Amino acid sequence: MEHLLVAILNGTIYGLLLFMVSAGLTLIFGMMGVLNFAHASFYMLGAYVAYALSGVLGFALAVIVSPLVVGAVGVVVERYFLRRVHRFGHAHELLLTFGLSFIIAELIKLFFGNFPVDYRVPADLSFSAFRIGGTDYPVYRLIMGAVALAMFGVIYALLTTTRVGIVVRSAIFRPRMAEALGHNVPLVFMGVFGVGAALAGLAGALAGAFYTTNPNMALELGVLVFVVVVIGGLGSLEGAMVASLLIGIVTSLAVGIDASFADLLGIIGLGDWARAVGGPLTLQVSSLAATIPFALMLLVLLVRPSGLFGDKS
Amino acid sequence: MKIRTGFLAPIAAVLLASTAGVASAEPLKVAVIETLSGPQASTGLLFKTAAKYGIDKINAGGGYGGEPIVLLEYDNQGGPVGAADKVKAAIADGARFIVQGASSAVSGQITEDVRKYNIRNPGKEVIFLNVGGEALELTGAKCHFHHFRFNPNAQVRVKPMVLAMKDAGILGTRVYAMNQNYSWGIDMEGAIVANAPLGGYTVVEKTLHDVNKIQDFSPYVAKIAAANAETVMTGNWSNDLLLLMKATRGAGLKARFATAFLDQPGNIANAGEVAVGHVVSHPFNAEASEASAAFAEDYKAKTGHYPVFIEPQTAFGVAMVGEALKSVPPAKDGSVDINAVAKAIETVKVKTPMGEASMRAADHQAQIPMVVSIVAEDAKFKVDGTPLGFKPMKVFTAAEASSPVQEACKMTRPN
Repeated sequence: MEHLLVAILNGTIYGLLLFMVSAGLTLIFGMMGVLNFAHASFYMLGAYVAYALSGVLGFALAVIVSPLVVGAVGVVVERYFLRRVHRFGHAHELLLTFGLSFIIAELIKLFFGNFPVDYRVPADLSFSAFRIGGTDYPVYRLIMGAVALAMFGVIYALLTTTRVGIVVRSAIFRPRMAEALGHNVPLVFMGVFGVGAALAGLAGALAGAFYTTNPNMALELGVLVFVVVVIGGLGSLEGAMVASLLIGIVTSLAVGIDASFADLLGIIGLGDWARAVGGPLTLQVSSLAATIPFALMLLVLLVRPSGLFGDKS
Repeated sequence: MKIRTGFLAPIAAVLLASTAGVASAEPLKVAVIETLSGPQASTGLLFKTAAKYGIDKINAGGGYGGEPIVLLEYDNQGGPVGAADKVKAAIADGARFIVQGASSAVSGQITEDVRKYNIRNPGKEVIFLNVGGEALELTGAKCHFHHFRFNPNAQVRVKPMVLAMKDAGILGTRVYAMNQNYSWGIDMEGAIVANAPLGGYTVVEKTLHDVNKIQDFSPYVAKIAAANAETVMTGNWSNDLLLLMKATRGAGLKARFATAFLDQPGNIANAGEVAVGHVVSHPFNAEASEASAAFAEDYKAKTGHYPVFIEPQTAFGVAMVGEALKSVPPAKDGSVDINAVAKAIETVKVKTPMGEASMRAADHQAQIPMVVSIVAEDAKFKVDGTPLGFKPMKVFTAAEASSPVQEACKMTRPN
């Protein structure tokens, strides 16, 4: 029972981290209709900027400043790159962000080297919050989870209750109409892109210290973030939240399951046959854990192509 | 993309030849086919650096047949498909030796390509010098006469690890086998289970997980805690090793890690204190002897850094080939009898800084000394700019570290 609890807790926190990165991606898609391939690069940039700054400013301040820097980079990317190619259509925007992700990765390697850097959780924060199931639970995990939840709360409140939120939502829903009503839609686009990038940067600054900060971290998380956005529904913040938690918890639970299809078939008396056939039938669920999100994505695309919460077609 | 280093050498040779009016033979060419760009480039570049160091050493000693050996570089772009293309390109460019190490999947492709090429082109054979592909099948079912492995494999890594840890009394009796779900991880799991009687431990749980896809290892840590393991043996590398170690210490577990690749650059920098007390089984430690320290200093003087990770085995492997070449001088027309070189590699014995190394004729698995090291603050050679380093626990001679020839290897030898 305790293990189940630990698994769910771990999955939830990991899901919340995924949400921090995918929130910006899904917002940007909702707004511009473009999948931003460079989004996970902003996550990596956040980690490296925080690492570079933490020597000067200290950890806490670095984590606050880093997202601002990354947000500024996002603003520049939108204003001077994306906006220029916008009139040529989505394919150009897509290619631009794709190229940008390579450039950011190579620049990072140029400045920080090929190998992981020593960006770590400071000693003051690496203590255990409580003991559960025979293991300590690092307090830093809870901090990451809390930041993600706070972030969700703030964005959600901003979008649904404030005047700025109304303008942003209208700019997303009917950009031409919003523009005709006198709102500066390009400014809104730039703002949302910057905020999206900053959110990814914040996730990177927090998670880079806990996991590893290396030149491949964008690749490692990038694919999963796309999966989250597709499952949740492109452009839906709530969808991204639900999908992140779903992926986090399902993956975490799957690791603990040592059963295979052969065991399942054993219930109807085909167990021995399945074990004799071998191959995929005897693969343990736990060894497939990291593949499950992709299976989930396929399932969602088959049953509900617009995603769980998606309404845009 | 292809970059020629030492491109001046052939030009100089041609100039010399033309002034002297003597027809000069083509220099011997060695091709490094590695991952030189993209996410996995960091390891590929290390293999390249070490191979270049080895070749430069041979050239400093007079090269081959009075000519410097030329090193060609090809970027396989991380996968078997790119590697297959580059093997063709390298052979077309006149390379007679192919050096590669990062990723057993790529090694598997190259060894098959070389085998088939040699069958179709008798008299123009090519030798594959495998300096890093650790999958057992490369010297097992896939072994052939023109493939040589200069690095350890899973069995050669685990046996010394178990013996040294048992001697030091830090092995414990409950071992968790945590590995990546592909050929290498499966080999490691097999070796960990096979060495259980030797080490007097029980494998309490075995796990194979996806390769380089997992960010959050805490569910796996929960399994380690539930199994109450004292030692976690793992063949994991890169992020899969780092994240697993960090998650384990983060959860307050005391389990000790026994690894194959903890000495990969960046690992200690990133893990910091978390790495202290963990063990690695590897072919080289600069602190092991005076000779090894001297080698490390020389390597640093030439390349700018101490030899780490897969670099020493690569340099030693190239040195072994250099030694073999001495006994097979080029023919009058400058051609090289590759089969004779291959036979010479089988018999040559070289004195590496770690001890004597040789090539086993039966399966072409190098017999190399191994060393088991522990991460500690009082290590002489610090790594990654941290106060930590690898302190040798015990050095094993090639014979002690050796594992038997696999039955699956059926090598056909040329007459």
